Amino acid sequence: MERLNKDSAVAIFLLVLCGVFFAASFDIRVPTYGVLLPSTWPRAIIAALGVLSLIYLFQSLTNSQEIPEDEEQALPQPGFSGWLAYWKNPIWCFVLFFAYLATLPVFGMLISGIGFVFLLLNVLGGWSAKNLVFHAIVAIGCIGAMWSLFTYGLGVILPPSDFPYLLTVLGVSS
Amino acid sequence: MILENIATAFGELANIKTIILMLVGVAGGLVAGAIPGFTIAMAVVLTLPFTFGMPATQGLATMVSVLVGGLSGGLMAGILTGIPGTPSSVATTFDGFPMARRGEPGLALGIGVWSSFCGGIISAVLLVTLAPQLARIGLEFNPWDYFMLVIFALTITASLAGKNMVKGLIAGLVGLLVRTIGEDEAAGIARFNFGSDAMLQGFNFIAVLIGLFAFSQLLSDVRDPAQAKKALMDKGSVHIRIEHRRALREVLTRWTIVLRSSIIGVFTGILPGAGGSIANILAYDQAKKTSKHPEKFGTGIPDGIIAPESSNNAVEGGALITMMALGIPGDVTTAVMLGALLIHDVVPSPTFIAEEPVLAYSIFIAFFLATFMMVGLQSFMLRVFVKVTRVKMYVLTAVILGFCGIGVFALNNVEYDLWTILWFGILGFLMRQFGFPLAPMILGVVLGNIAELNLARAFAITTDLSPFFTRPWSLFFMIVAVFSAVYPMYQDKRGTKTWTLYYPALLLIAVSVPLFMMGGFIRPSIGFAIMVGGIYTLYKARVTHKATAA
Repeated sequence: MERLNKDSAVAIFLLVLCGVFFAASFDIRVPTYGVLLPSTWPRAIIAALGVLSLIYLFQSLTNSQEIPEDEEQALPQPGFSGWLAYWKNPIWCFVLFFAYLATLPVFGMLISGIGFVFLLLNVLGGWSAKNLVFHAIVAIGCIGAMWSLFTYGLGVILPPSDFPYLLTVLGVSS
Repeated sequence: MILENIATAFGELANIKTIILMLVGVAGGLVAGAIPGFTIAMAVVLTLPFTFGMPATQGLATMVSVLVGGLSGGLMAGILTGIPGTPSSVATTFDGFPMARRGEPGLALGIGVWSSFCGGIISAVLLVTLAPQLARIGLEFNPWDYFMLVIFALTITASLAGKNMVKGLIAGLVGLLVRTIGEDEAAGIARFNFGSDAMLQGFNFIAVLIGLFAFSQLLSDVRDPAQAKKALMDKGSVHIRIEHRRALREVLTRWTIVLRSSIIGVFTGILPGAGGSIANILAYDQAKKTSKHPEKFGTGIPDGIIAPESSNNAVEGGALITMMALGIPGDVTTAVMLGALLIHDVVPSPTFIAEEPVLAYSIFIAFFLATFMMVGLQSFMLRVFVKVTRVKMYVLTAVILGFCGIGVFALNNVEYDLWTILWFGILGFLMRQFGFPLAPMILGVVLGNIAELNLARAFAITTDLSPFFTRPWSLFFMIVAVFSAVYPMYQDKRGTKTWTLYYPALLLIAVSVPLFMMGGFIRPSIGFAIMVGGIYTLYKARVTHKATAA
């Protein structure tokens, strides 16, 4: 029953998505040249996607799909805390990656990268003193090596840290 | 001419720097392929940024080496631990693991290595000979044909999702829709940017691919906190010696299995959407069906290792044939390879082999050389593999995510690409959880602009839709697309519904029609043979139907 609801919800989401994109397709400018309008191909895709989403919705409402045993065992515990515990690791990965990208303009690729890997290692592997040291070595070693290789070996200009800005934000410097 | 091109390509690759890079590539691929959860596509993607500064030949040779190494790496994990390193080595575990447990891991590994080598060499030979021929056929393709070829590629990829065909098609369409975001390539008009200047440039498809595939895969690997803290594998010994001589003898005495499995691999690879994961099972199944002792399969016999390992190495040769000759990637790995080619300003198309013979043949020869390197490095990398398997999954995940960040930024030096990884990582992860296959979506993203550009070209020639039905190749792809769309239903209902009796016959008869339309002598003759086969199958189906009804 849970799978049924999930599938129905996904199908409805897809239908809404089709609606949003179909409405947005009217904002596409009509050029005075060319035969195939820039909106034709996307609209054809949206139409096909809409039809398939309806079929998917219909299937999800009519088919009582049985959840495989192994999948059933792996389902999260009921309640928000159970759900959170089940998805804890992926959520942390996304949150930390988001933080990594958000801090990139300030800290730069090297510091943000090391920070991201170090925090992720601790979140996933545990915060014991031994782990902290090991994780710090892994984060600094791996990201430092990769950063050096790209910066000095391949000549790629990776985002630098903006410390003056950071100090201003922190109120250390005027 | 071919020999001249091969000699020139050899000359291009025969420098110490390229050879070292290829060796490193094969070694890296072997380790990556051996680690469960770390796919070949991921290894190729991570290698891509390192090749930016290299000349095209060198960079592509390195990428091909990673690919070949990755294809063979899966067998180490499969044979020693029973856990396949990649989906393309699933069938290898059926007999490889029992043989290793019986006390012959060195022989099992040796058979795997030499079968991979033979499969790779056979596919390299077919790559050199078939790719130019297919490219010649590709020159006949007009925009209508290309458009239908893309539709066929997407349909067959979606149909491989089996009972989830609808989800497969939805995934493919979402991929096509994603590709429409940003400036329209034909007219340069902004589409679906929702007021964002950043979205005007669209999404870099390598970043989309890493997000969808690699990011979501890594997150799935660490979903279970207990599993994430475990070492990749606890089993495995460093004291194994690969028995090369004995293994080679075993492989050569079973050359028919090697040849048949390699051909299965190459043709599965040529088919868009199908890949090593299908080829190894198909080849194993064929070897079992044709064996005098099918009951021994699964107990640790050489035949059960030779078949899947020959076929999975041959697959990429086949996939490269289609990609190099037509510019259509067959699977996720070749989609990444296509991205690598485009980054090096190489645009695969039917004219590519004729216009850039040295580069094209360098790729073929790199594939060939990397196969030799793979055999040489396998023994050494076995020790590295055992050490790598002691690493815990979460450590690998965190480090690879960090590497992905640096590597993807280096693609275009644009931070927006990193955000693309995040958004598509979330999307890919959710799609996995809801049972949507990712391969159709990835192909949709890769092939979306090819489909649209060809549709625009077709409409620029005429707004009449009839060429889709009257042009032989377009009709051919349309017919196979329709039949491949129905195939999951056929598989599901076979033996229970009457119409399934007629499916193969109707497919053969339908496919013969465009062949008759192609003109000349050979193709209509093939069409005639297929038609006769179809009518005979129809007759047999009719007889079976009557017998069942009676």
